[in-house]
Amino acid sequence: MSGGPSVAGTGTLIRAALRRDRWRLPLWIAGGAALVATQSVSSQALYDSPQDLAAYEASVGSNAASIALAGPPVGLDTVAGAVAFEISSFVILVAALMAMFTTGRHTRGDEEAGRTELLRATRVGRHAPLLAAVAVSALACAAMVPAVAAAGVGTGLPAGGSFLLGASVGAGALVFTGITAVVAQVTASARAVYGMVGGALGIAFVLRAVGDVEGSWVSWTSPIGWAQATHPWSDDRWSPILLCLLVTVGLLAAAGALLDRRDLGSGLLAARPGRASAPPSLASSLGLAVRLHRGALLGWAVALGLLGLVYGGLAGSVETLFADNPEARAFLPDSGSLVDAYLATTLSINALLAGAYAVSAVLRARAEESVGRAEPVLATATSRAAWLAGHGVVALAGASLVLLVAGAAIGAVRAVDTGDGGEFSRLLSASTAYLPAVWVLAGAAVALFGLLPRSASALAWGAVAYVAVVTMFAASLDWPGWVDDASPLAWTPLAPVEEWSAGALAGLTALAGLLLAAGVTGFRRRDLVPG
Amino acid sequence: MTSVISISGLVKSFGTARALDGLDLDVAAGEVHGFLGPNGSGKSTTIRVLLGLLRADAGSVRLFDGDPWRDAVGLHRRLAYVPGDVTLWPGMSGGEAIDLLGRLQGGLDPARRAELLERFELDPRKKARTYSKGNRQKVALVAALASDAELFVLDEPTSGLDPLKEAAFQEEVRALRAQGRTVLLSSHILAEAENLCDRVSIIRRGRTVQSGSLTELRHLTRTAMTVETARPVPGLAELPGVHGLRSDAGRMRFDVDTDALDAVVGCLAGAGVRSLTSTPPTLEELFLRHYGDAEAEGAGPAAGAGGVPAPAARS
Ligand SMILES: Nc1ncnc2c1ncn2[C@@H]1O[C@H](COP(=O)(O)OP(=O)(O)OP(=O)(O)O)[C@@H](O)[C@H]1O
Ligand SMILES: [Mg+2]
Repeated sequence: MSGGPSVAGTGTLIRAALRRDRWRLPLWIAGGAALVATQSVSSQALYDSPQDLAAYEASVGSNAASIALAGPPVGLDTVAGAVAFEISSFVILVAALMAMFTTGRHTRGDEEAGRTELLRATRVGRHAPLLAAVAVSALACAAMVPAVAAAGVGTGLPAGGSFLLGASVGAGALVFTGITAVVAQVTASARAVYGMVGGALGIAFVLRAVGDVEGSWVSWTSPIGWAQATHPWSDDRWSPILLCLLVTVGLLAAAGALLDRRDLGSGLLAARPGRASAPPSLASSLGLAVRLHRGALLGWAVALGLLGLVYGGLAGSVETLFADNPEARAFLPDSGSLVDAYLATTLSINALLAGAYAVSAVLRARAEESVGRAEPVLATATSRAAWLAGHGVVALAGASLVLLVAGAAIGAVRAVDTGDGGEFSRLLSASTAYLPAVWVLAGAAVALFGLLPRSASALAWGAVAYVAVVTMFAASLDWPGWVDDASPLAWTPLAPVEEWSAGALAGLTALAGLLLAAGVTGFRRRDLVPG
Repeated sequence: MTSVISISGLVKSFGTARALDGLDLDVAAGEVHGFLGPNGSGKSTTIRVLLGLLRADAGSVRLFDGDPWRDAVGLHRRLAYVPGDVTLWPGMSGGEAIDLLGRLQGGLDPARRAELLERFELDPRKKARTYSKGNRQKVALVAALASDAELFVLDEPTSGLDPLKEAAFQEEVRALRAQGRTVLLSSHILAEAENLCDRVSIIRRGRTVQSGSLTELRHLTRTAMTVETARPVPGLAELPGVHGLRSDAGRMRFDVDTDALDAVVGCLAGAGVRSLTSTPPTLEELFLRHYGDAEAEGAGPAAGAGGVPAPAARS
């Protein structure tokens, strides 16, 4: 990206973007810092004696399952090192998602909405929108550094390591700023950008999981692996940060070069011509919803199926998990066999992810409304209830499918590993226990859509984040009971450890039904609200 | 004649901003009704209330003798709508969008669809992401015009069309009228409204300021005249209905109230008329009178005579 007129107007664009993101970015940053602070408090409470810590190191440090989820098992002889081990992968994921959405929104998102065209017609240079988007995302990544450092220091962890952890998070996210900038040049839709970068993030996560479990070089193929290779509070290495910065610079140069080779509004991948007339299935609001959701649903189903295979494969090495550390078992339900306890945890993670899918699918309805695509449909003989039901049915059925696919994948691997075919149906049916909790999340999103359309997106994602945090930390922190009770997963029997309880599940299903009805009623009574 | 749309005293606020402030609109069956007003005057908002997409705060709104808020689905079967700002599904082709909207509305005629695609030169295989504004508008137009609706609600349907397609559009609207269908056409393009509309309603700041047939509305403004006579015309300036008389080297220019025309012509008859041009008021003048602020109210006809060259070309 050369200087001069091609970047004219960058400063103005940066200020405008920061203004647009003035709530979003602080929330992402505060969320990342809050994860570190919560983990720090929780770990210090759990491993307050040297014996506890030694037991923790012995069990967790050699366990494939937790290494696959967390990171390289180093520095586990100090509480601070344990914090870095437990939480760094999640914080890096959060920061990378922030970078992806920020960069994507201000590049391809704006271009797709036609805002870039408007700007480029003024005295804004060719490279200015890309440069501004990257600058804003980089600022947000940089802000992660002091935020995470403050969370560590504020909860009593040593300052040097806290700062290095923050720098690792920021540097890892910066690489995803670069990846998003490149992908945004290649494809012509913002949705596809998020899909492809999200896929890259998933691959990066799996590569580092494989490398960390095997203790091999494979971790070094993943930007998340680089960010974790700093080993805060133990080896304190800064060189991986430099690697992240260098790669980012290379990616940004590539993005700039690609931008020079394409036209505004188009991608490098040419759009194929479509059909001249619609297939018979595209004749109802449900048909429309299926058409709009099918790509994303397929992506989620494949991703959760693969995750299920990984989870299932790791189950065998769980026998040693937490064997000597009763307090650490607070993370897992405390009855039944250890393997089943592990499986129950993976099933609730599946439920969380399926809930996230459900919320994203319901919010698609809100996106349709806010860009004005609901209007022509609702001006036909399509009722509001039918239109919303189209999206709602896909969200509920799709989330159920995603959850069961993941459960079936776990069950299939277990059946092969144990040679007991009954494992498949046992784990598939255990998965069904989590369906009502997923439906409650979908119902909450529908209710928010109907009643509070303008804040539906923020509040619905807030609900998902809430359930995630409560599920991760409830067992280890001394929260008042209602904090836990407000999560639908708290009322879900943790199958296969706990018994399937018809009462709780019927209650959750009824709640989901009420929320759906409230949403439909609210939508039928309100104005159509543009973005 | 029966009313297809009748709105009276319609009020709609967004927060503290009043978008519609007691608006009236009456559209009779079988007519093409122009719905005119400056940016932000409330045309699209009125149409959204009429379609049950927004709920009225006050006033009465009847569509085919139904309530558009409560009976939306039943009423929508009988109408077709082209939004002012057409957004389509980026990954869907234009042809798919046309079929989808047509089927949801109750089915469309395949022969008509093919004819309209040809007429508007629209490639139905292109993905909506790659369509220009005009092409997106054509998608909505084809879907609407290929349907068998009784009422067509068109919100600035030609703002992105080139002149040839605009002419094709005008022919289509005339054909609809010949078939006895009703059209509500919101527009900024005066020539279009003058060409197509039986009646127009002009709104400003959420209120109807004029409504009627073009002939009726012309009565409300003045005709501009330029006359050369052999002899002076005494008393012309004093004649009721004559305004702003200026003469220079035997040429007189003045404006005449439409109902004083006869008297003026009678008075000129004895003075040896050498040349006479008379330009009837256009919508443009009506527009200027109602769009311009209060000061334009007094100077209205003069502004029309002095500042708008268009009418002579068209009369
Ligand atoms: N959903 C909304 N929320 C807030 N204000 C709105 C909303 N919709 C319209 N308005 C306001 O109501 C007023 C009327 O807008 P409307 O779109 O009806 O005007 P219009 O006559 O169609 O204008 P144009 O000719 O530019 O299309 C404007 O001031 C607009 O800003
Ligand atoms: Mg409008």
